[in-house]
Amino acid sequence: MTIAPPRTPTDARSAFFDARPADSAAVDLSVRIGSLTLANPVMPASGCFGPSLGRLIPVTELGAVVTKTVFGTPRGGNAAHRLTEIRAGMVNSVGIPSRGADGYLAGQHPLYLTLGVPVIVSVGGHRSSEYAPVVRDLRGAGDAYELNVSCPNLDRHGTDIGSDPDAIEKVVRLVRQETDKPLIVKLPVLVSSIADCARAAEAAGADAVCVANSVPALPLTADTRSPVLGNVIGGLSGPNIRPIVLRLVWLASRAVQIPVIACGGIETTDDALDYFSVGARAVQVGTASFGRPYAMVEIARALQERCLAAEVADIGRLIEIWRA
Amino acid sequence: MPGTPAETPAVLAARDALAALRRQQAFAAADEAALDGLIAVRPPARTPRPDPVWDDAPVLVHEVVGERYRRLVLRTATIATTALAGQFLMITVPPKGGERILLPRPMAIHRRHPEQGTVEVIYGVAGRGTTALADVVVGESLLVTGPLGRGFEFPDAALPTATPSAGPGPQPARTALMIGRGVGVCAIMGSVEDAADQGISATVVLSGRSRANLIGLADCAELGATVIPVTDDDGSSALPALGERLRARFAATPPDVILVCGAGVLARLAAELGSEWDVPVQVSLEAHMACGLGYCHGCAAPVATDPAVEGPLVCVDGPVFDAVLPLTAAAGGANAAG
Ligand SMILES: Cc1cc2nc3c(=O)[nH]c(=O)nc-3n(C[C@H](O)[C@H](O)[C@H](O)COP(=O)(O)OP(=O)(O)OC[C@H]3O[C@@H](n4cnc5c(N)ncnc54)[C@H](O)[C@@H]3O)c2cc1C
Ligand SMILES: Cc1cc2nc3c(=O)[nH]c(=O)nc-3n(C[C@H](O)[C@H](O)[C@H](O)COP(=O)(O)O)c2cc1C
Ligand code: FES
Repeated sequence: MTIAPPRTPTDARSAFFDARPADSAAVDLSVRIGSLTLANPVMPASGCFGPSLGRLIPVTELGAVVTKTVFGTPRGGNAAHRLTEIRAGMVNSVGIPSRGADGYLAGQHPLYLTLGVPVIVSVGGHRSSEYAPVVRDLRGAGDAYELNVSCPNLDRHGTDIGSDPDAIEKVVRLVRQETDKPLIVKLPVLVSSIADCARAAEAAGADAVCVANSVPALPLTADTRSPVLGNVIGGLSGPNIRPIVLRLVWLASRAVQIPVIACGGIETTDDALDYFSVGARAVQVGTASFGRPYAMVEIARALQERCLAAEVADIGRLIEIWRA
Repeated sequence: MPGTPAETPAVLAARDALAALRRQQAFAAADEAALDGLIAVRPPARTPRPDPVWDDAPVLVHEVVGERYRRLVLRTATIATTALAGQFLMITVPPKGGERILLPRPMAIHRRHPEQGTVEVIYGVAGRGTTALADVVVGESLLVTGPLGRGFEFPDAALPTATPSAGPGPQPARTALMIGRGVGVCAIMGSVEDAADQGISATVVLSGRSRANLIGLADCAELGATVIPVTDDDGSSALPALGERLRARFAATPPDVILVCGAGVLARLAAELGSEWDVPVQVSLEAHMACGLGYCHGCAAPVATDPAVEGPLVCVDGPVFDAVLPLTAAAGGANAAG
């Protein structure tokens, strides 16, 4: 698979590439995640991007890309159906098929490197101790790691690792011993205190938290009321989780100093600005990319345009204007 | 109300609906089971796949065809000129009457008209997405991504048959048998176009509920393909009958390849014929999809694999796969796994 440049002027994709706005010196959209500076705060959500999408959109206009979660050992993924659509959302039980760290390094990573933006590698595990070995096995590949702690903890009867601040603390501490690269902790939605979870990540040395993963859900068929998904339950994403995640981002932003990356139902620039206005410093776009592959880039472009129109230098000041 | 007999019209109607549902479920289960052990990823393609694009494609025609389907003609020059037979589009359904559809819907490219820069899609209204799609009017544009997936491919040369033709004279023209049911016909129509271009003689079984619901009659006539129409209402689409008819028809000279789409049981029939005639069989499959590009991992193909290894994906490894009869079934042995 090669990443081809735009080929022909006769389709909307080409026109979209050509419409790239000039970078404006008057606006600074950059955001720092530890030692890493992203040119702008827009990136894909893990599992909702791949190098093949990189052929369809000008990826260099994004702040970063995020890989699908890589597990230490190969995993096959769940039975069909793996996804379905419900009103205002979708539910997936892909099951995170993974070829392991070696498989990722051999297959996917070289393709990610051709994209020309920072690569954030998502890392998963089923015990607090499983994350650090994956990061070690990645042998420095990637510009930052996003620790997906929304995985059932096999040490704790399958409750999410990320619902337990102590387990989060342990994951981050162990990974910190393996790498100096920026660490983002991606938190689950169903936690008793998102503030405690975010604080645990910060205390253990994380450089950012991502709020949040998809929401556990069970879609049924209309006719027989039987489970649609092969795995019965899956993760709900899309616009219907936005108000839920807005609250979590608001709470997490008040609990920690490190940046909060918002992820949940973002489809438009206004959705992104909602999250910025409750404290987010960056945004991830997942489900929206399926229906509109260019949605992320459109948001990144529009953030600059909004700042230019309001004659402000950054998103923080844009939000101050409304509050004034 | 006291004294109301138990069998009110509402009770009877609900009972009928339940019975219909049971029949539908049983049919769907049998159709899915028919694919068991049949599917294999095709070897690497000879022609490189075109790069997919997305486009805002103006709707030039949107009309009802037959009793159950709708035909869309979309202007999208890049896709019309690059798409290979059997490839598909992801169609994003625009917001309609308060309905918002998030995931694009996979649809086969039924016809390619590169000179006009258009493609045709024929679809049936199934659920929320296709219901909203039906409200799109001529003049609107649809966001489409494509061409996507691994399509159908004719084998390179006429394949050696079990008994090489003993007759004198040149080799007979290359031939293909194509079998499509319902909207499954759309996946094979690109190959009917290719056959017309390449001088391959195509025999196309068009299967549907009734004559009025057959897709592709006019297309096949235009492309010079021989049509075998079969329908449920006269019983001609029933499996043993169709199988015997095809065996009789091709007894002397089997086709060089069989392409099939639209029903698991037809794929199995095709695989049986392929095994009897020693010719390759390709089948186009469906799966729920989000991206169509291979990155969401949503579209697992029905292929049993090692639990630690991800199986093939319908959107990139397919939708066209090889259909090969499992050895036990080919030998006529009972397969406990069904
Ligand atoms: C490669 C490919 C080519 C196809 N070509 C055609 C075609 O030419 N004409 C046509 O009428 N149909 C075709 N289909 C099937 C078509 O995609 C579904 O009928 C459609 O997605 C149903 O959407 P809905 O919202 O109306 O149904 P709903 O049942 O409400 O859909 C709910 C969810 O399930 C998915 N889904 C439901 N049924 C199917 C299905 N059979 N296949 C895939 N996803 C499904 C939907 O996409 C949606 O995400 C094709 C499918 C694939 C995979
Ligand atoms: C198909 C699919 C696959 C996903 N895979 C992953 C994954 O591998 N790792 C992860 O951390 N999140 C995964 N997610 C969750 C998303 O990253 C995101 O948190 C969630 O979808 C909410 O954002 P959205 O509403 O913008 O989609 C996946 C989501 C979808 C829809
Ligand atoms: S539809 Fe996304 S991987 Fe196939």
